[in-house]
Amino acid sequence: MLTAEQNDELTQVEAGTPMGEVLRRYWYPVAFTRELAEFPVKRVELLGEFFALWRTPSGRYGIIPEPCPHRKASMAYGLVEEDGLRCPYHGWKFDTDGACIDQPAEKDSTNFKDRVRATAGKVEELGGLIWAYIGPEPAPLLPRFDVYVMDGFRDIGWADLPCNYVQIMENAVDPHHVEWLHGRYFEFIGRHEGFTAPASFGKQHVRIGFDTFEWGIIKRRVLKGATEENDDWKVGHPLVFPYNMRVGGGGIHQMQIRVPINRTTTRFMLYTVHAPEGYEPVEQAAIPDYQIPVFDERGNHVVNYVEGQDIMAWVTQGPITDRTTEHLGRSDIGIALLRKMFREQMARVAEGKDPIGTIREPHERIDLPCEIDKFHAGGAQFALDFCEMGSTRFSPMLDTIKKIHVRAAEQARKDKAAGRTPYTPVGGFGGATLAPGASAQVDSGPLS
Amino acid sequence: MRPRPTPPQPWQPAVVDRRFLADAEAHRRDAPRFCPRCGAQMALASEFWEADDRRFYCACTGCGWSGEIIPTGEGVIGHELEH
Repeated sequence: MLTAEQNDELTQVEAGTPMGEVLRRYWYPVAFTRELAEFPVKRVELLGEFFALWRTPSGRYGIIPEPCPHRKASMAYGLVEEDGLRCPYHGWKFDTDGACIDQPAEKDSTNFKDRVRATAGKVEELGGLIWAYIGPEPAPLLPRFDVYVMDGFRDIGWADLPCNYVQIMENAVDPHHVEWLHGRYFEFIGRHEGFTAPASFGKQHVRIGFDTFEWGIIKRRVLKGATEENDDWKVGHPLVFPYNMRVGGGGIHQMQIRVPINRTTTRFMLYTVHAPEGYEPVEQAAIPDYQIPVFDERGNHVVNYVEGQDIMAWVTQGPITDRTTEHLGRSDIGIALLRKMFREQMARVAEGKDPIGTIREPHERIDLPCEIDKFHAGGAQFALDFCEMGSTRFSPMLDTIKKIHVRAAEQARKDKAAGRTPYTPVGGFGGATLAPGASAQVDSGPLS
Repeated sequence: MRPRPTPPQPWQPAVVDRRFLADAEAHRRDAPRFCPRCGAQMALASEFWEADDRRFYCACTGCGWSGEIIPTGEGVIGHELEH
């Protein structure tokens, strides 16, 4: 439970607000690479502001606020040229640094164009996504998290959700919901729709814990039948501050991305890499993206797949959940820890410091901790459940992905039987762990 | 200059949950306001409940202190020794 003022502050995304200023210290995916290959300029909304994003014929990217500084027409309808984006209304042109480099109807002899600059952001391409930074200079580096650079077969599911991103992030530090929303509720829906829900999601939690670390918060759990030696506790997986969660298991590596489009709209993306033990590379000319369903034809939430269940729980809380009348329990302590982290980062930014998870050192790859043996369900079985019961069900690449996992499991089995090391992609599988013996900072202790 | 959007409107619940207005009022009344270590204004006090307790998970961004504060009322309860 929070006060209305604290809920207000926590959920803001706009420029000039404490949380909006924190959010402007990070890079965000704002388009798929293939989109600007198909058409070189796009209108994008990010953190409650509209921008024109473009790609020059030679492959350079730019982003500037949507209204032309001249007479406010949309630059998202602009003409893309090699050295900049030209307004369709009177032809003013801006380069990728935001400098006005042409005013066709004005005299060449004036310095007018030097006095009107479009505040430009930074843009980079990584992993089939186009990333933008719209905060103050100097921009931090774009973090090269493992999923974006590792070998493997990729696809990207997405949906735009009518709710604030914070309630989605709070779900990332809520281990117990898996047992109910994806366990008992899934079984209930399965009984009525005639399918069998995956058993591994319904396992009872007997201990949960949370650790803050350099990129956010690591979530740990011990499920019934397992111990603190299982990956779910020993490794866990992280909330990557302020808008991501790294998940995986069974040779699947995924970043769940929750981009605050505006205060009550969040773009939810599932960036997935399939790289099981024994995987052999499959060519991909482009990374496919696909929209996942939120509502059915009657306007009800689609709840017969894992992420659809999450979406239902996030969206039905309302556009901005009312934290003044909620009732948290001890099992929600991860949520309290996350709110504290948000508040701490507001204070850091107000003091002129970098918030957590901004990086300024050049790097090749950032490995994040993530379970390999998720829910002690066994690798291939978890992967097939993930494909059939999760958003991958809607992927245009579903059949290919299932074949990848089945073939990889078979190849790994043969290799092991023959004493060979199964194929490992260049760069490995992204299996970083915490220091051996590390215990949770916030720990439920035994729950029964 | 980047155009400044309209200032955000203060948050109001889309639907007021009148069942729990007393809890919200109690939170506003009782949430710890000052850090027990440095006396600065408390940055955040998330309330959660455990059995009969109301617990406030508090964070002070002034000195970095964080911890739980539990109002006890007038009584103080000890533990019962084995007998």
